[in-house]
Amino acid sequence: MIHRSRRLTKVATSALLALVGFIFAFPLFYLVATSLKTKADLFAPVPSLFPPAPTIDSYTSVLFTRGFGGLLFNSIVVGLSATALSICVAFAICYPITRLPASPRLRAFVLNWALSLRFLPPVAVVIPYFAIVRTIGLYNQLPALILVYTIFNLPLAIWMLRGFLDEIPREIEEAALVDGASRWHAFRTILLPLSRPGILAVAIIVFAFDWAEFLFAFILTATPQAMTFPVGVQGLVTQFAIIWNDMAAGGVIAILIPLSLMIIARRHVMSGLTFGVIRDK
Amino acid sequence: MKLRMRLTTLVAIALVASACTSTPSSSGSGGGTGGGTATKLTIAAVQGVEDAGLKALAPMYKQQKGVDIQIVEAPYDDLYSKLVNAFKANDATYDLIMMDDPWMPKFGTDGSLSDLGALGIAPDPDIAQVVWDVGTWPPPRGPVPPSEKSKPKQLLGATIVGNVEMFMYRNDLTPTAPASYDDVLTNAKAQNKPGTVAGYIIRGKATNPVVADFLPILWSQGGDVFDENWNVVFDNDASKAAVNFLINDLKAVAQTDPGSTDASDRDKIMANGQGYQTSVWPGEINAAVLDPSITKVAGKVTFIPIPKGKSGKGVGMMGNWLLGVPKASKNQQAAADFIKWMLQKDTQLTYAQNNGIPSRTSVLKDASLTTANPYFPVLADALQAPPNWRPRTDQWNAVETIIGTHLNKALTGGETADQAAMGAAAEIRTLMKGAGYPTQ
Amino acid sequence: MNAAPARPLAFAARIRTAWTQQSRQERLVYKLLLPVFGTVFVLATIPFVLAVVQAVTSDRGEFIGFENFGRALGNPLLYEAIKQTGLYAAIALPIEILGGLGIALLVHRTVSSNVVRAAIYIAAMIPIVIPQIAVGVVFRLVYAADSGILNVLLGQTGPNQPLWLSSPPLAMIATASVDIWQWTPFVYLVMFAGLQTVPSESVEAAQVDGATAWMQFRHIELPYLRPLLLLVLFFRIADVIRVFDHVYVLTGGGPGNTTQFLSLYIYRIGFKFSDLGQASALAVVVMVAMILFYTVVSRYLPADRG
Repeated sequence: MIHRSRRLTKVATSALLALVGFIFAFPLFYLVATSLKTKADLFAPVPSLFPPAPTIDSYTSVLFTRGFGGLLFNSIVVGLSATALSICVAFAICYPITRLPASPRLRAFVLNWALSLRFLPPVAVVIPYFAIVRTIGLYNQLPALILVYTIFNLPLAIWMLRGFLDEIPREIEEAALVDGASRWHAFRTILLPLSRPGILAVAIIVFAFDWAEFLFAFILTATPQAMTFPVGVQGLVTQFAIIWNDMAAGGVIAILIPLSLMIIARRHVMSGLTFGVIRDK
Repeated sequence: MKLRMRLTTLVAIALVASACTSTPSSSGSGGGTGGGTATKLTIAAVQGVEDAGLKALAPMYKQQKGVDIQIVEAPYDDLYSKLVNAFKANDATYDLIMMDDPWMPKFGTDGSLSDLGALGIAPDPDIAQVVWDVGTWPPPRGPVPPSEKSKPKQLLGATIVGNVEMFMYRNDLTPTAPASYDDVLTNAKAQNKPGTVAGYIIRGKATNPVVADFLPILWSQGGDVFDENWNVVFDNDASKAAVNFLINDLKAVAQTDPGSTDASDRDKIMANGQGYQTSVWPGEINAAVLDPSITKVAGKVTFIPIPKGKSGKGVGMMGNWLLGVPKASKNQQAAADFIKWMLQKDTQLTYAQNNGIPSRTSVLKDASLTTANPYFPVLADALQAPPNWRPRTDQWNAVETIIGTHLNKALTGGETADQAAMGAAAEIRTLMKGAGYPTQ
Repeated sequence: MNAAPARPLAFAARIRTAWTQQSRQERLVYKLLLPVFGTVFVLATIPFVLAVVQAVTSDRGEFIGFENFGRALGNPLLYEAIKQTGLYAAIALPIEILGGLGIALLVHRTVSSNVVRAAIYIAAMIPIVIPQIAVGVVFRLVYAADSGILNVLLGQTGPNQPLWLSSPPLAMIATASVDIWQWTPFVYLVMFAGLQTVPSESVEAAQVDGATAWMQFRHIELPYLRPLLLLVLFFRIADVIRVFDHVYVLTGGGPGNTTQFLSLYIYRIGFKFSDLGQASALAVVVMVAMILFYTVVSRYLPADRG
């Protein structure tokens, strides 16, 4: 009896999961299907689920004819640099408040301030940012994006990194300090190696958010030498022409790069996603 | 350790790469401050069929004059916000900018563009007067915004896409063209077969799209948004009748979902033979409706000027794309020289052969181009008519948003036609008074 | 006579004493924190200050007080936008959070294969990295009338087909569904990872005591997940006020202004109406409201733990 009902539950949950998975996967499938269609397919009176004559023309068009390869390169540069900078800054802020006896008030102030950055509606601060970037002469240059992304993803980076650092017992480091090591030495040889999975996890999530950003990338750049990939993809939505196959191809390409990064580091990302708030304390 | 090494290397590569790519960009907009010595011009253009011809001309200019043309494209709405930003910051990145004609009042009022007359561009009689007028600020006719009355008239933009909204219908279903909007409705009722053929296709997506579709109807039926003194007349009897005509009469014989239909959806319906008639921009014709790779209605569509309405006239709407030179550009003369070159007759011929939409009457009427572009002669006539332009005020974007929201609401059953007309009129009055207009 | 100059000196001395009374380590906190945190604080605060300045000055740079705030708050469309944003959040957020949590529990308890878990995990990452515009266009291809794949699959192609993008209730559901599609997986990832850290001893002990699945969740897992749930809820609420691209592509704010959410409304005021003063005032109001909201919620967040 119990056995049967257990099996039944198992079948039911598997069915439910499969259904959810199907609903989730459908738009992705349709994105890929659309990217393999021709212009004539897009204009068909009744849309087809599968491309009648699959072609990779859209991919070559996006990468080569339209020259988005350069934008992809910019995206990678901006993503990696901004991620690296975010991690360094977040580390510099998290180290004192987690590894040293900072007052709870200071700690709360820093963390709350970081989170409050998330409240600025981007549509509204984009103009002030534009003014600043122009003033310091970084308009239409990649460093401007790197700087802005670093600031925008700090809340995420600080909160997650703090979680990891909290979980590394202070005693380990202190033992080394007692043995006469300098704080810098203890940091380098003990804390840094221990927080490696955490750093990687934060890095990948931050990279994913940097990767998809559009508004600032659009407003702070003027020519393809500084534009990022999402800006190019956005440009494929025009008033009159239907080039949704190219657009879909852009979407697929945009998925592939961060996805491969995540596959490489999935274990670390997983532990990073707990934000460190629920370990036994 | 291995991981850290890898991370460090990645970061180093990224930083070095970012340094490398950003160094040349600091001189990117340069190319010399002197008049005609520029080696490179950067053009901000709209993405889509409107800049296809421009892109085709760029390599030719390099070949003939040795000047690189860099075209930076952005979609319609994005281009506008980008230009507003760039002008606000007095940025010198763009030497030339493409602008839709209703944007010009904003840029003219803000004083963002150079006087092309002073750079040696003079009106040419082979191009319709209205094309020069639409590039002139303050506007040579119609109401002038109060803040602009004392300014001298300057040519701020030269048309490179001669756009006038026209009308198309299926000549295989009815042999004669509709002479009036009464005919349009009669034919629509006769041809409408729900689920198969729409008697009329409404481009009804919220804001800009639905307004672009509706203004020719409004004007032809004798309504308007403003009168000569900036008083709002969108809720007078003629305007209300026009709104009712769209919301009640045409919608009853339209496609299934006018409320979310944009230009590309309308083209698709027409190209598949699922629609009988609708308004059309020149740019939609060869890129979609008559594109041989997709169309099912080749030879079955006739293009005519906007039919007559209750006003006794058919009033087309201009949607010209102009080239202007930002005051901040460091290559003023070189930019103007490019415009001059583009408007020459032989350049315009090449331009038309490469999907550009010319504005020269002699090119539009050139028999060698008519086969590929059957609508050219109609366009030439439409430009001579002349067509209406959207009210010349820097508040137009806001006005358009207000009207477009209300029309869309009415089209989707959220309010009646009369409510839409009166609601929009009330909001426009508040807006215009707030902006210092003597609106009543 | 000497009292006046002596007073600041005494004050300084007091500070010095306080400073030396702190341990070397406590001072190190400030020494390490100040340079970086100070720089970032300034960099991140300038735009906000500029937004405030823009909100209280005219185009010509004169101080105009709270005029822009008056106009911003006096516009009935603002309240319409807030209401619609609230409705959107009310549809999307509970489904995202309960759905993400529910699926995480299901997978956690019923899927034991690491390969399947990894596959689900990787799939759940995808929606975060797609350009927003591509998400919008794909869903437009799904939801559009006549040419949309959804109605075709449902066999609804006639004149009475559901108009997902232009019937007011359906348009709200359609736009919210995109949000749900995009962010439920994110909630799932966080919740699933959180579940991995629940100590297995407590779970086993409960099972030995004969706890039902619900009791196990209610008394063991939920307490572990509670702070995480609040943090996720908070991030999601902050993100709802940024919703823009997919709505812009799907409905353009229509039908009427049914889907004109707060960020679209601010965009409309700032760019379409070229009223940057009012847009900045709106931004300041939104930010202040969110900070107030956060102050209330943060009591339940683990910010000052440790």
